[in-house]
Amino acid sequence: MRRLLIGFIALGVLIVLLCVATLCFGAVSIPFASVVQALFSPGADVSSNILWNLRIPRMIAAVLAGASLAVSGLSLQTVFRNPLAGPFVLGISSGASLGVALALLAGIGFGSVGVLGSAALGALLVTLVVMFAATRFAQTGVLLIVGLLTGYFIDSIVSVLIAGNSSESLRVYVAWGMGSFGRVTLGDVWMFVFAVVVGMALIGVSLRYLNAALLGDDFAHGLGLNVKRSKICVLLGASLLAGATTAFCGPVAFIGIAVPHLAYLLFKTTNHRVLLPGAALCGMALALLGGLFPASVPLNAVLSLVGVPVIMWVLVRGSGARF
Amino acid sequence: MTNVESQYVLLESRDLLVGYSFALETMKIPFDFSLASGTVVALMGENGCGKSSLLKTFAGLLKPVAGEVSLEGKSLTEWAPRERAQEISLVRMSSAVPPRMSVSEFVRLGRSPYSGIFDSRTDEDNRIVDESMALLDVANFANRPIAELSDGERSRVFLAEAVAQQVKILLLDEPNAFLDIPRSHALFRLLKKIALERKMGVVVSTHSVEYAERYCDRIMVVSGGAVRVAAAPDARKAGLLDWTETFE
Repeated sequence: MRRLLIGFIALGVLIVLLCVATLCFGAVSIPFASVVQALFSPGADVSSNILWNLRIPRMIAAVLAGASLAVSGLSLQTVFRNPLAGPFVLGISSGASLGVALALLAGIGFGSVGVLGSAALGALLVTLVVMFAATRFAQTGVLLIVGLLTGYFIDSIVSVLIAGNSSESLRVYVAWGMGSFGRVTLGDVWMFVFAVVVGMALIGVSLRYLNAALLGDDFAHGLGLNVKRSKICVLLGASLLAGATTAFCGPVAFIGIAVPHLAYLLFKTTNHRVLLPGAALCGMALALLGGLFPASVPLNAVLSLVGVPVIMWVLVRGSGARF
Repeated sequence: MTNVESQYVLLESRDLLVGYSFALETMKIPFDFSLASGTVVALMGENGCGKSSLLKTFAGLLKPVAGEVSLEGKSLTEWAPRERAQEISLVRMSSAVPPRMSVSEFVRLGRSPYSGIFDSRTDEDNRIVDESMALLDVANFANRPIAELSDGERSRVFLAEAVAQQVKILLLDEPNAFLDIPRSHALFRLLKKIALERKMGVVVSTHSVEYAERYCDRIMVVSGGAVRVAAAPDARKAGLLDWTETFE
């Protein structure tokens, strides 16, 4: 109990500090007093403009993306009973990439839908394929393979599109592929919030299944759970979270696969009542930390550069002399 | 021995045929069976004869090919899954255990059929979990990962989970497959003890004639597509165990 309390309080404090840092630091240096003033009584000055149009959206994007990817990764690792599972293995991120590639490179006129909408459409498409597979095949192994194959297939289409392209649109696509929290605007952030709330709710109502699924579907079935329905809920939720994040922030690879392990090492439990919120908070903290680096550095590179040493350190510390 | 007067029927099957489909069915002759409280029934038969399918059918996890199984007078198919899980537990010792799960976390899963949507545990749940761990003598390694336990310890942990589930019917699929001789004796003694103390009905599949005759009340044999049941002391005379000594 003490471990949980300390863990959650520490993470909470860390996240608040990182949020403050996200608001205070950026390409343009704004004095702390101006930040506070712009925050509580926004005017028409440059500070207010930067704060409300750049830094606050970026902070919200990092918080939502970090929590989404971590929760998505954790639930997928549990359902697939595979420590290497994550949003990427289901091909969801690839689906979003395809949407963006079609819009930017092939110039297929999604028109008003835009890059964001095409990413969401692509992610949804792959989710439907995976959901179809989930209803057809009970075995999670098959599902994993379907996801991976779909991902490979889509990546190839994207490669072909890239090969036939040059110049400006390619540059935009490559920039999108590096991931960033800076693309969300206050105007469309509510869509991101909505997707995250629905995704989290779908996973939240499947808590009983997630805890039992660690021992396999037969075991969960024996505990009186509706395995099929719960599994679809979790997969849909995980896809929604990963799809929304990829649409808004680009493919962010690292958090989904690594943060669940970090959360386990901090909280030392397999109970998803603790692990899900724990992973969400860890994901937020890592995403905020990654977002603090200058925008010119690719987010994916930063997350891995910051995240790998952190997790290695925790792994070594947390396991003591066992390994 | 069991006090016959206080016994009542927990699980009953009528004209039951078990298997995965008509095409693949391993049993050919429908059978009737009833499981009384406070008794332990040994389920025997060669590999592949359908022991596991039979246990799964009794647990309500596999639909019968024909006939029906009723639990406390009501057909298993009419039971809501969650309520069924409060009555029956099928324990498979071979289940792969997640590397990080601790003993107490696993035993706590036994309370899952009683929990709300967010899978919380009440004080009552925690008391039952502690009690189950004490009964099966696993409390002293409650915080160790199950994956690190010996086979004997692990089989007791699996039983503790089923006991925490407070089921009336305990179905065990070859619990002594990985156990040495003294631990197998201890396990069967324990099954007999909890069946009597908690008025539970136990069906345990095993390859050991010795344990079946010595610790179980009845012996159920699946052989040649038929299922036969006899009181343990009469099984040998009735020819139920003949198959164990012939192989052609």
